[in-house]
Amino acid sequence: MTAGTRPKDSRQAETLRVEGLRVYYHTPRGAVRAVDGVSFTLKPHERLGFVGESGSGKTTIAMALIRLIKSPGKIEGGHIYLGETDLLSLSDERMRQLRLADIAMVTQGAMNSLNPVKRVREQVIDALEDHGERITRQEMDERITELFRRVGLKSEVAQMFPHELSGGMKQRVVIAIAISMRPKVIIADEPTSALDVVVQRQIMETLREVQDDLGASIILIGHDMGLMAQFVTRLGVMYAGKLAELGSVNDLFDAPLHPYTQLLIASLPSLAQKGGLQGIPGVTPSLLDKPSGCPFRTRCPRAFDRCSAEEPQLREIQPDHWVACHLY
Amino acid sequence: MTGLPTDLLEAPSIPAPELTIFRERTPTEAIAAFCRRNPQTVIGLAMIATLLLIGIVGPLFVNTNDADPLSALPAQSPSRTYPLGTDDQGRDLLAAMVAGLPDTLRIGFLAGAIGLGIGIILGFLSGYLGGPVDAVVRIAVDTLLTIPGLLILITIAASIKTFISVNTMALVIASLAWRQPTRIIRAQVLTMRERAYVQVARRSGMNTLEIIGRELLPNLFPFLAASFVGAVFGAILFSIGLEALGLGPQNQPTLGMTIYWSLRFGALLRGMWWWWMPPIVVLVVLFFGLLLLTIGLDEIANPRLRRTA
Amino acid sequence: MAALLEARNVTKIFGGGMLSKTRNVALENLSLTIEDQPRSFTAVVGESGSGKTTLARLLLGLTAPTSGTVSYKGKDLRHMSRAERRTYLREVQVIFQDPYEVYNPFYNVDHVLETPLAKFKLAHSKKERRSLIEEALQAVGLRPEETLGRFPHQLSGGQRQRVMVARALLLRPRIIIADEPVSMVDASLRATILNNLAQLNKQFGISFVYITHDLTTAYQVSENIIVLYRGVVAEAGDVELVVQKPQHPYTQLLIGSIPLPDPHHLWAAAKAPSGIGTPTDASCKFTDRCPYAMPMCIERAPPLFQTDLRRVSACYLYRDAPTIIPEDLPSILASTSGGDAQDQAAADG
Repeated sequence: MTAGTRPKDSRQAETLRVEGLRVYYHTPRGAVRAVDGVSFTLKPHERLGFVGESGSGKTTIAMALIRLIKSPGKIEGGHIYLGETDLLSLSDERMRQLRLADIAMVTQGAMNSLNPVKRVREQVIDALEDHGERITRQEMDERITELFRRVGLKSEVAQMFPHELSGGMKQRVVIAIAISMRPKVIIADEPTSALDVVVQRQIMETLREVQDDLGASIILIGHDMGLMAQFVTRLGVMYAGKLAELGSVNDLFDAPLHPYTQLLIASLPSLAQKGGLQGIPGVTPSLLDKPSGCPFRTRCPRAFDRCSAEEPQLREIQPDHWVACHLY
Repeated sequence: MTGLPTDLLEAPSIPAPELTIFRERTPTEAIAAFCRRNPQTVIGLAMIATLLLIGIVGPLFVNTNDADPLSALPAQSPSRTYPLGTDDQGRDLLAAMVAGLPDTLRIGFLAGAIGLGIGIILGFLSGYLGGPVDAVVRIAVDTLLTIPGLLILITIAASIKTFISVNTMALVIASLAWRQPTRIIRAQVLTMRERAYVQVARRSGMNTLEIIGRELLPNLFPFLAASFVGAVFGAILFSIGLEALGLGPQNQPTLGMTIYWSLRFGALLRGMWWWWMPPIVVLVVLFFGLLLLTIGLDEIANPRLRRTA
Repeated sequence: MAALLEARNVTKIFGGGMLSKTRNVALENLSLTIEDQPRSFTAVVGESGSGKTTLARLLLGLTAPTSGTVSYKGKDLRHMSRAERRTYLREVQVIFQDPYEVYNPFYNVDHVLETPLAKFKLAHSKKERRSLIEEALQAVGLRPEETLGRFPHQLSGGQRQRVMVARALLLRPRIIIADEPVSMVDASLRATILNNLAQLNKQFGISFVYITHDLTTAYQVSENIIVLYRGVVAEAGDVELVVQKPQHPYTQLLIGSIPLPDPHHLWAAAKAPSGIGTPTDASCKFTDRCPYAMPMCIERAPPLFQTDLRRVSACYLYRDAPTIIPEDLPSILASTSGGDAQDQAAADG
């Protein structure tokens, strides 16, 4: 029983559907199970977040969704349905065409991989032409002006070189490229973690606006619970390659079920009250030799016998609120 | 090309933070894994060890006095008595090999060690202290590197009026062997000087010398080893060059001197292959061994190569 | 009440030499004093380019000010005797952002703990050294048997940073400059490390200068706060006042932009800049982004207005308040430091 199991007719109402995704990194010392059986669905016009610490597998999910897992990593199993198509069954060439056109990505590093010796405009054109857009120069210019307007950039920016732009502007250019083919799904992997808070907020607001414009769905990957609370509608909490909890952002913050989520939220410093901060004791388990049973049991204050004997499965405890914990 | 924007969307390959949770290996496992990844290092090491062994164990079986002229019948082809034959002056060439190989290695290692030693001192002074010291060292190294080394060495060797011994030879070559190590070490020290752990060490009460000796030097071991092998390689090459020109230790049957004598007495034209071939074969083995070793050490010294392994 | 570490009117300019085209004022005319008594916890908050890291480097003696002085116990860092410098290096410690870079990869973590004990002769025997180290590790919540003898890459980022806190504890410095100590640590461990710092401050009387871009953690641990914007003080004073009732438009923008971990309190709409005129070098540096900018902001940058007993704001919106000269900033901050003043301020708020 996984989060993906739903009546067949509801499939139409899903943009993306991931079933039992497993991604392993093969190292000389064994397989690192970075993503170990993750299932979820993404509805049209939804903003879904995946939050987790380093090593939780959140970035690997993002890379798997656009099939850019590189050696020694390998997608070991599962399905990624975009509409009716299983992305994992496509040829590399077909997948390349699909990237950007149907599913686009905005990453933290992307803004630093803009070509420093090419004007921004040419880089956008390259992306469009690479996906078979054959339009006149004038149409192209109109298209770029329109794209830039959407992400809050003046059209003059198109004539500039990346080094003339601030970090926030560069990230806007990246978003402009990402939305240039009107994708159905935008994956944003830590899109603002190198930016200051004020710029971060502007970028997230831009992202939300372009999502509205396009009617796309967004998957936001990150480590910052605050950003998740501000941006997403549904949130998945990752721990050691698995989903610990998945539900609406309000449910998750108001009544978290998984002890890890509870502790994580309690550990967040806020401006509302001073003091009483509590960290989570212990460390994340090594993905090479995970503990038996529940991966969180070594740090869990509420662990009991069953937690070491049996691994909890993600189950729907309340309507649309899934948790992998033996307490429920 | 499909243009950068697609690269840009595909930029991150392995999400680095997620790989930091690997269980770490014990040193033995690490060495074993290194050998498996770098069979060439092991082969190189074995080749050089064999040559060293010939120099060390050889004298127990062969009378090295026979390496002197007039010890045997001249110009004999290989036979049971003289496995590698003899030369025109009556040297037993096997004895010459056993006696001469260690001398050649000695020139190489001595010059390499002196060169590296000077390189460490100058490289650290220059890199860590900066300022005028750095400027002087940098200009000296850069200038000397642009002049062909053999030219300088020939001038020096030719100006030595007295008899050249093996040690003198090593010193002559060492006079240039420090250039490359100095340059490499200086560059490394420059990048390491700004590391946070140097700041921490300073605030742990270490003085400059202690920081250089205890914090920086240990991290340079792989670099120093690679530099050393490189310096030895260069030194032997220079010594052979000088000796083949007759500017070597004339009373020692080093490999280069044997080649010099064979050339001088026309061994090549007279078909006396046993005279010139063995030293060349040994040199090829030696250089090849050193080369393999350098490649292996490079993997340790160059973090970028190491990470991909 | 004597000044321990004192920055007086420091300005740091990068570039601007004969050969360089760009002249970048990283920090302008800042004064900061860390007193001997009582212990204090001062946060320096700002975005990238605010000059906060430059300030940390100045206080650590890693770079010299273009003008002004940084001194420890009254001695200019640049003109110290060997003994004075040694004292300064020991008594002003540092916790860096990257908990990996601070470890020499050649040694196991014991090295950073043992070296200071040996060099400063803080232990008389090997046994004493060991027990001091174990004590310090336990104080920051680490198990010595799981920590000692390990190499840095065998510990998590959080553990590595806690070992550095333990090291600071061993040295019993007077002051710790903590430069973004938790920004590279996972969320679940951040709270633990912040608690460790607070404990060093309260229990052992070590004063902190906490350099960060994160107002939330600054609020949690500090008593005073200095908000820097492009090298100048925007607002400074008691942390309760500054965070709960921010005055400077920049502080307001900063606080309004924090993504609060609460889906019921979403970001409020930001006010658009008033967009009057083109700022010059003499203008308030925030003019171009400020929703309240007035002609006078373009003419001349505002001085520090003392709007509360324990707060100053560099903004003409508060021009009715008395002005103070930059050198007086430390005295305003000093009146807030210490646990008692803190409680009182909380009551005021």
